[in-house]
Amino acid sequence: MRLAGKRALVTGGRQGIGRGIVEAFLAEGAEVMTCGRGPQPDGLPEGCGWQSADVSNPAQVTALAQAAGAIDILVNNAGVQVEKTVADSSDADWDLVIGANCRGVFNTCRAFIPQMPKGASIINIGSISARVADPSMALYNASKAFVHGLTRSIAVDHGPDIRCNAICPGWIETGMLEAGFDLSENPEAARKDALARHATRRFGKPADIAAMAVWLASDEAGFATGQMFTVDGGMTAASPINTGLF
Amino acid sequence: MMLEGKTALVTGGRGGIGRAIVARFLREGARVYAADLTLQGSLAAHDDDGSHFIKLDVTREADAIAAMAQVGEEAGKLDILVNAAGIEIEKTIEETSLEEWNLSFAVNATGTFLTSKYALPLMRKAAAGGTSASIINFGSYDGFIADPGLAAYCATKGAVHALTRAMACDHGPEGIRVNAICPGYVDTPMLQSFFTGDGSGGGGKTIDQLQQAVRDVHPMRTYGTPEDIANLVNWLASDEARYASGQLWVLDGGLSAQVQQMKL
Repeated sequence: MRLAGKRALVTGGRQGIGRGIVEAFLAEGAEVMTCGRGPQPDGLPEGCGWQSADVSNPAQVTALAQAAGAIDILVNNAGVQVEKTVADSSDADWDLVIGANCRGVFNTCRAFIPQMPKGASIINIGSISARVADPSMALYNASKAFVHGLTRSIAVDHGPDIRCNAICPGWIETGMLEAGFDLSENPEAARKDALARHATRRFGKPADIAAMAVWLASDEAGFATGQMFTVDGGMTAASPINTGLF
Repeated sequence: MMLEGKTALVTGGRGGIGRAIVARFLREGARVYAADLTLQGSLAAHDDDGSHFIKLDVTREADAIAAMAQVGEEAGKLDILVNAAGIEIEKTIEETSLEEWNLSFAVNATGTFLTSKYALPLMRKAAAGGTSASIINFGSYDGFIADPGLAAYCATKGAVHALTRAMACDHGPEGIRVNAICPGYVDTPMLQSFFTGDGSGGGGKTIDQLQQAVRDVHPMRTYGTPEDIANLVNWLASDEARYASGQLWVLDGGLSAQVQQMKL
């Protein structure tokens, strides 16, 4: 039980990667709560606490911090994506993506850092898309670069007491990925092609990202701070040209 | 004319990218030494472009010493060194023999080391003249992300990237700038060999179809020409770039700015 005695908040832990992290933290003995917009959803894991909060809203995050109290682990997982180019993006798209992915991370860090004890760990969910662009994901890609920059800043500014790192997931099997393949004329071929671009020949699972989060949250990672940890099955280690697939 | 009064030496200067750099340097007014194994280099024909040919095997220390002695005698200084000589073994590490591995490093990494080492005294002389001297190494986008079946090449280019930063640190105080250009896909004999070798696809495509498919992966929808590379080499060689040092300059039509493409 690597997180026994620690208190953790995972934002956006209802489903997907956040849910995977919640489950892994619980399994490692942490006291875990999550938050999201709206009332408490059905089907949260046994023992997981819930607070209603929209991370993009500073007042709601202040209330969240007051309710949660001191925590040892903060995972900024809540995020949204809008699949558009710059030219197609509206002001509402900007407010949505930047509000949740940028301002949300800022809001929670600002609210929780003063009440985090020495040895605490902040884990932000960045993305490989902050370094290499996904097409038609302009605001999302840029918002994740913000997360990487903020991660380094927090590590530098709050270093003696708090560690701060980011995990950069690649393609993780969530509903979102499957929906992408379903858009294809030939979903089976699209899936096969995408798999061939992963050295692991499989996509990621929320548990793969959760495993990294557990390590970064644990005291084993006591010297790890200010870094981006990519967990993508080797995808971004390879060139986008793979003539064997043509 | 951006390079008037400057003396330049280009290794691999009779090859695909090297020859374009030599031609550009000549147009910009430099005195240019094209150093290569043969006058023909990796291309089919020789054209008399006005450069001075020096026979140079970059893996041989004696050749590097002799080349710099000749430049010193004839020009008295060296403002610009371009380490463009390179080879590519298209294999995984398991398929690569020790001899092939050593040859890859000998040309791509050791060659950059040897030529630079013996160029430094002449480059200090150029820098003492008041303008910065410039070494331009050839890294590759493959030094950042891997093409399949190109292991030794990728490793040598990673070595060149690190060497570039180290040289920039060590010799910056002497007025010598050191940068690396990291090309993506550039239309050269090396690329054509890649298309006809192990890289030639599995889908039963013709070489033309394969080349088009490769172009289509690029955000610019084309791969580069040697002249595209020479454009940046020329800038880095010129005094306009006098504050540019220690950097890896990727020139790849946007190829490495994007994530793997989902085929929809």
